[in-house]
Amino acid sequence: MRPFSYQRASDPDMAVRALSAAAAASNPLTKAAAQPLAGGTTLIDLMKLDVMRPAAIVDINSLAQGWSAIEPGSEALRLGALAKMSDVAAHAEIERNYPVIANSLKLAASAQLRNMATLAGNVMQRTRCSYFRDVSYENCNKRNPGSGCAAMDGVNRMHAVLGTSDQCVATYPGDFAQALVALDAMVEITGKAGTRSMPFAQLHKTPGNTPDIETMLQPGELISAFSVPGQWPRSVYLKARDRQSYEFALSSAAVALDVQGGTIRDARVALGGVATVPWRAREAEALLKGQKFDDGLAQRVADAAFADAKGRQHNGFKIALGKRVVMRALQQAVTMEIRS
Amino acid sequence: MTAAAPEPKANMGQPVPRYDAASKVTGRATYASDMPLDNPAHAFLVTSAIAKGRVDSFDLDDARAVRGVIDIVTHENAPKLKESKLFSNGGYAGTTIQPLKSADIAHDGQIIAVVIAESYEAAREAANRVKVSYTAVAPSASFGSPGTTTAAAKGQNAQFKEDPQVGDFARAFDEAEVKLTASYDTPPQHHNPMELFTTSCAWMGDNLVIYEGSQYVYGLKNGVAEQLGIDADKVRVVNPYVGGGFGSRGSMTPRTAIIAGIAKRLNRPIKLVPTRDQGFTITTHRAETRHEIRLGASRDGKLVALRHEGAEVSSRPDAYCVGGTKTTTRLYACPNVASLVSIVRADRNTPGFMRSPPEVPYLFALESAMDELAVKLNMDPVELRRINDTTVEPIGGKPYTSRSLMACFDEAAKAFGWSQRSPQPKSMSDGDWLIGYGCAATCYPTQMAPSAARVRLQRDGRTRVEIAGHEIGTGAYTVIAQTAAERLGVPLDKVAVFLGDSELPPAPVAGGSNSTASTCSAVMMVCDQIRQRLFKAVMPSDSLTDKAKETVGLSQAPSTQAAKSDRPLDIEKAFDALGAGVVEEYGEWKPEGAPLDSFKAMHSGHARIVGGHAMKDKIAYAFGAEFVEVRINRFTHEIRCPRLVGAFAAGRIMNPRTARSQLMGGLIWGMSSALLEATEIDQRNARYVNDNLADYLVPVNADVAGVEVILLSEQDDHINPAGAKGLGELANVGTNAAICNAIYHATGQRIRKLPVRLENIEA
Amino acid sequence: MSENSSSRRSGFDRRAFVAGVAGSALVPLTARAVAQDAKAPAAQDPALPVDVTLRVNGKDKRLQLDARTTVLDALREHLKLTGSKKGCDHGQCGACTVLIDDRRVVSCLTLALAAEGQEITTIEGLATNDRLHPMQQAFIDNDAFQCGYCTPGQIMSALACVKEGHAGSDADIREYMSGNICRCAAYPNIVAAVKQAAPEIMKG
Repeated sequence: MRPFSYQRASDPDMAVRALSAAAAASNPLTKAAAQPLAGGTTLIDLMKLDVMRPAAIVDINSLAQGWSAIEPGSEALRLGALAKMSDVAAHAEIERNYPVIANSLKLAASAQLRNMATLAGNVMQRTRCSYFRDVSYENCNKRNPGSGCAAMDGVNRMHAVLGTSDQCVATYPGDFAQALVALDAMVEITGKAGTRSMPFAQLHKTPGNTPDIETMLQPGELISAFSVPGQWPRSVYLKARDRQSYEFALSSAAVALDVQGGTIRDARVALGGVATVPWRAREAEALLKGQKFDDGLAQRVADAAFADAKGRQHNGFKIALGKRVVMRALQQAVTMEIRS
Repeated sequence: MTAAAPEPKANMGQPVPRYDAASKVTGRATYASDMPLDNPAHAFLVTSAIAKGRVDSFDLDDARAVRGVIDIVTHENAPKLKESKLFSNGGYAGTTIQPLKSADIAHDGQIIAVVIAESYEAAREAANRVKVSYTAVAPSASFGSPGTTTAAAKGQNAQFKEDPQVGDFARAFDEAEVKLTASYDTPPQHHNPMELFTTSCAWMGDNLVIYEGSQYVYGLKNGVAEQLGIDADKVRVVNPYVGGGFGSRGSMTPRTAIIAGIAKRLNRPIKLVPTRDQGFTITTHRAETRHEIRLGASRDGKLVALRHEGAEVSSRPDAYCVGGTKTTTRLYACPNVASLVSIVRADRNTPGFMRSPPEVPYLFALESAMDELAVKLNMDPVELRRINDTTVEPIGGKPYTSRSLMACFDEAAKAFGWSQRSPQPKSMSDGDWLIGYGCAATCYPTQMAPSAARVRLQRDGRTRVEIAGHEIGTGAYTVIAQTAAERLGVPLDKVAVFLGDSELPPAPVAGGSNSTASTCSAVMMVCDQIRQRLFKAVMPSDSLTDKAKETVGLSQAPSTQAAKSDRPLDIEKAFDALGAGVVEEYGEWKPEGAPLDSFKAMHSGHARIVGGHAMKDKIAYAFGAEFVEVRINRFTHEIRCPRLVGAFAAGRIMNPRTARSQLMGGLIWGMSSALLEATEIDQRNARYVNDNLADYLVPVNADVAGVEVILLSEQDDHINPAGAKGLGELANVGTNAAICNAIYHATGQRIRKLPVRLENIEA
Repeated sequence: MSENSSSRRSGFDRRAFVAGVAGSALVPLTARAVAQDAKAPAAQDPALPVDVTLRVNGKDKRLQLDARTTVLDALREHLKLTGSKKGCDHGQCGACTVLIDDRRVVSCLTLALAAEGQEITTIEGLATNDRLHPMQQAFIDNDAFQCGYCTPGQIMSALACVKEGHAGSDADIREYMSGNICRCAAYPNIVAAVKQAAPEIMKG
């Protein structure tokens, strides 16, 4: 871990100023000289590994007073960026009206980490690619642009099959972001110029030729809130993994359905553990709309979701697995009892 | 009484709570890195990013510029250390690859520099700033890699003396009515004890104190002294508590002498806390293995031919192997047996003991094959074991001192509900889950080694037991205290036990499940010496028969009613008669068959372990039977193991509470080995990839639901005075096969390669 | 990737970080200081120790720490409270679990500076007047440990698990205790201990 200056920001303006001041124009956010510290579960971890080397840390936890509210409404759910994962997961109205959100959070990490990690920090968490996390490997395009990718032909069981490029196959590791992307969430971003909103689906960038640029967030910008339109009581987060708990997904699916009289009026499908970013399977969703559910439909949806998937040496199984996870999540969503 | 404290059956001690329980639940138990040091400097390791080649140069400018850096030690300026031979060749070392001796690199993650700084933070930063230029050579990673060499273990590993065989395997197999040939693979695994591989070294003049979690303080003391070229009496190893061993701390690793040498040079205590990932390469591991099993049987299930060929990966310089054929060729009655163990050399660190080293991989193969044979024979797998059960091992014709294998099968089968199993594969399910039942035998050799002990008894009954044993979680303090209390007839709460210090009388390595048998036998012997002195003082020599002297306990409560020969001896009266305030005895115990040099070797850190198949006219093993239920999700193919039932017979059970816990842990280890654990190797560069606790998967609480341990009563008077067979390694042996056998039952798919992951389950 | 006779260097270029280090807009290093603090130095060598006051088990502890020091290392190396253990240093094992403001966290990923002003409770703070906490007693009664290294973290986690209301069933306990790895695998006994202690903890 490199030395850094530490300061606490007492309000958003100060945080933004501090983060912007240290920002060099040429650096992507992930290498910005100043990094915000919230729960610290990604930042401190990666600093210890020498993967991240900020010269300044801006502790934004004092902003939680204004930025951690959990506000369910009939039109939309608003979640403060600094709300803790555990608090959101345990919120009764979220459990009732957004089970996909509650469960994506409950099935992530451990109780301790969920107590520390904030929602914004969680969606910004970085890949678990072993080669990215080990600086003794020079060849990581995410860390050292243009240096190559050790994972491509290395041990890549955990790596992505969707959204990959010839530069990077690192998996986006989170769970909650799949729920957000499925539910058409908006993300509110606070920066020097004030506050702007964008669809959450646009926040993360697939690696393409710039795997070091992971999100649309600019240095000096902070996520201040998320909002989720509508209510999705018929929603499921299904996560497959080797261990029963405390493990990143091999494959997961966030599914939300609006079923009326046996007909699917609206459907959302997002995939985790298999893609480089929180992955919305829009073509697959389209097959569901206006249809009555059966297993054949589920199969077609699953096939569509993974139509473009490309496996590598050790992760090819994720395609078949991912399809079965989607099918099962759909079945569970269709048959689940809605608490009113 | 809680489930944690089972009611003792015949030949079992009391399930008293752990001697060290209060220390452990309050945070007062001090592990190596908890020991206070006076103004320590902090060390941080730099390890190699290549597996083979050499360091061309270091650029240390950035690192040296870090505020607080005191020194950076590389091969260019490292303390000169003498070589230590591999433990199996009469040395102390777990590897003969000595880092910092030259620029050469022999395996991934080899120590290439040590940064010393005023703080941990500065040392870590400077280590990160060390720049290294390498010349890398393409390494051989594992089985099948170009450049590996293969040769028979016999002749290159001094501890592997023979490939057991008897009869005419080729002919018998050829003529067998039913035949099976199958190959099995097991992966490399790492112990990952919770305590990191910390080492602190502090010199006082010419005397060195080492705080390091060790399973063998005498071995470490003597080994480090040898490497430093100093008298072993100048070195003291202290570790009253060890945060898990599992074999990882049994032999000396290179780090200790390096840190000691640097501490000497800098004249300052040094504390090294390696990272978890460094622990994967600076210590040992369980090597990957491959097996081919051939079984021939008659139609009624009698084995007529058995051949087990095993291959194990080791490092270039060291011919380490576990050679489990010594067990698998002797487990069942079979007149025609052949075997061969080979060692494959690759550019890897030298492997070492990991919990049940030979039996885990080799019994996985044999017990899987037995299940496959049962399927071929259309026979219940339990019955196949019964048909081939034996009281005499087939290779040398020696009798088992005791063998309760089938009793274990019957007890465990009953508790598990084996009779509810529908034998057809894919015939049981529950909602989303396919259900499979499986079972396997488990066994582990009964081993003992010479041990000393010192016991001090005071007039008021207070007792102090000193022995350089090791508390690695097994309950060593507890069973030693119980042994002394019982033998001396004093209340348990008056017994103080001191372990984990090489200044104490020597005990063997806490490995091979020999500790309880060895240390308790020594403590019993020394307690008897005290009893003898007291009896002699208080009674005319002929007033008690020798037998009575052996059986009559000391007690502080004088009993006037009892007949003279049964009367407990009043300690206070005895002390008065002796005219002493304290009686202290030291003694050295060695098991039957231990070599002549046993005691000398014991003091110089060489444990002469005897037992198992290597006894003169008998063979001693503990046995068990394990039954598991696996559930496989129809959709995700996730594999869960909600029930593990094991029945075990291991001679005297000193404490059913600690015994149950240890066996329970073993069963869960077995499950972990079958379903989760594997160290992934990047085949291109022979480097470990998942070297952390998020990626090297061990079970978490949610992975474990029902575990039932059944302790069978067994008495064996032919093994050691304590009558104990050892438990630490018994339970995790059979589980691998039991789980794969259950997966076959659930799915109809036979998986012969560990670990079994969801992608290995076909649709 | 060919390893043949290639020359490699470890680490990557840090020039990228030279620009834009903590400049004048940045406020001071001590956690309590705020932007408005006029006395705060504008820029300071970040490698110098800073003053930190940690409140641990009800007592204020004044320390001078490297800003990089975690709560875990502050407890262990500076306050000699070695009950909290380092098992991975990356939030992967739970051995370092402590309570901060009554919530369980991994102290290895918590900067000491960031914990200033908060109440830290460690295993050393549980027993009162040499009387074991009910959870400690339950761990003994149920033999919920072997080597004991993960135990302080398990107990702190267990305490929070009960207070969070996650000890209602065996399945809940197992799930919510899954952030604490026990390599000796005392898990069933840990579940039994949490069950035993839960009613008493909820009462008082």
